[in-house]
Amino acid sequence: MSESKRGGIFYGWYVVAALFFASFLAIGSRQGFGVFVKTWEEEWGVTTAAISVAAAIGWLANGLSQPLVGYLTDKYGGRPVLVISLAVMAVATIAVATVSNVVGLIVLYGFVISFASGGISPATTGVVIARWFDRRRGTAMSVLIAGGSVGGLVVVPFLSFVLVEFSWQTAWIIVGVLALGLGIPLLLLVVRSRPQDMGLNIDGDVSPVEGSADQQVKVQPVGQKFVERWQEALESKPIWQLSFAYFVCGITTASISVHYVRWAVSEDISTGTAALAFGVLSGINAGGVLVVGWLSDKFQRKKLLGAVYLVRGVAFLSLIFLPGASALWAFAVIGGMSWLATVPLTASLTADVYGVRNLGTLFGLANMSHQIGGAASVMLFGWAFTQLGSYDLAFGVGAATLLAAGFVSLSIKEKQFSVRYAPVVPEGAATDSKD
Amino acid sequence: MPNPFDVLLHHSEPIDPTLWEWIEDKIHDVLGIDSAVAVLVIGLLMIAFPLAVLVLAVRKQRRSK
Repeated sequence: MSESKRGGIFYGWYVVAALFFASFLAIGSRQGFGVFVKTWEEEWGVTTAAISVAAAIGWLANGLSQPLVGYLTDKYGGRPVLVISLAVMAVATIAVATVSNVVGLIVLYGFVISFASGGISPATTGVVIARWFDRRRGTAMSVLIAGGSVGGLVVVPFLSFVLVEFSWQTAWIIVGVLALGLGIPLLLLVVRSRPQDMGLNIDGDVSPVEGSADQQVKVQPVGQKFVERWQEALESKPIWQLSFAYFVCGITTASISVHYVRWAVSEDISTGTAALAFGVLSGINAGGVLVVGWLSDKFQRKKLLGAVYLVRGVAFLSLIFLPGASALWAFAVIGGMSWLATVPLTASLTADVYGVRNLGTLFGLANMSHQIGGAASVMLFGWAFTQLGSYDLAFGVGAATLLAAGFVSLSIKEKQFSVRYAPVVPEGAATDSKD
Repeated sequence: MPNPFDVLLHHSEPIDPTLWEWIEDKIHDVLGIDSAVAVLVIGLLMIAFPLAVLVLAVRKQRRSK
């Protein structure tokens, strides 16, 4: 019997809510960077390209930090990594208000904030969620990921209004104070790295000796590919299948994020209409990720993951074969359904197959492959357009890689390796969680 | 060739300033509210959510003991 069935909300959902807010702040403030670009250009007399260096370094630092923070999460638990990361991010965010040139921005935003915000990414938050949830892991992960989307939708306009009403310095100070004054206490008082820290079981299940003072903690089964050390996972197929597909995810989302509006302009579509279509895509993705997360607790996750990549492949094909305006809206709707849905599916499936003990490191590595794919595609799509005067070849390559990612995902032997379908009680009844 | 530093990933990367400028105009057109009011309303929501989570979670912890 679960805690929720006894009348109360399972405490894991409070953990989800606290991590939702931390993600909301971390992602929202990183996305808000763009709001200040024009102000900095005018105030400091620099170009967009100069400021973009800070953003680019930030992107690399954030990507490279993922395996490290994931490893630290596996070793010390999610709570300390999250608290330290948010504290560093908050102090550096306040310090940005004192910056008066691009160098300062590169140091604080490019290195410190971006690296620290890697500690509030799915490589850490996803691990905490995976330790609290088993049967509803997909749903919980998707709610968490949606927090990032909501952060972008709420924090970016908020920062813009603060900029108009006060100053850009005030905007950064407010975000830093929110993180220090509310985010840190929330993580410290609400989040626990694993349910056992509160005498609870995963999913809120009660122990066989319900009601006794020395209630035993339930032993969690693991999948057949459960690994004690993360390096062992690299000798099996599923981690490579998942990482390859996630690499393709990076290729196809980063390229579209940068080139979508440019492609629309090349098709004689106005920037405003293209921006609106991209906004529609972003809105649909928030709903899409919640639906897919919920479905993934009912059906095989690999089937949904494969379907998400194939649907995105159809969206890419629509850019090639449909006329300009139709392609724009077809992509916004079809692509929006698949935009973020890969994140909770990949994280959950990694946890199901390998267990949660090394999930941070393994998902951190997958995240890094995602970032590398994204960086490469942005440059290659641009190169292809410059050489050929058309995005058709680039979109064709995108569709082909998505087709491959879809079939590779579908080829994962989930029923054989996932703890959901082939649970194994670990030897010596050691739990999957970090001891 | 586009500037590779303009990378705008879907998870957490900076919003495109041109795109944001357009969205900002639309927000002003649709809502038509003063910036100070917007700061106050959104700010209160951003404070209320974590406080509510904190209060409810601490109550839950105390009841569990």
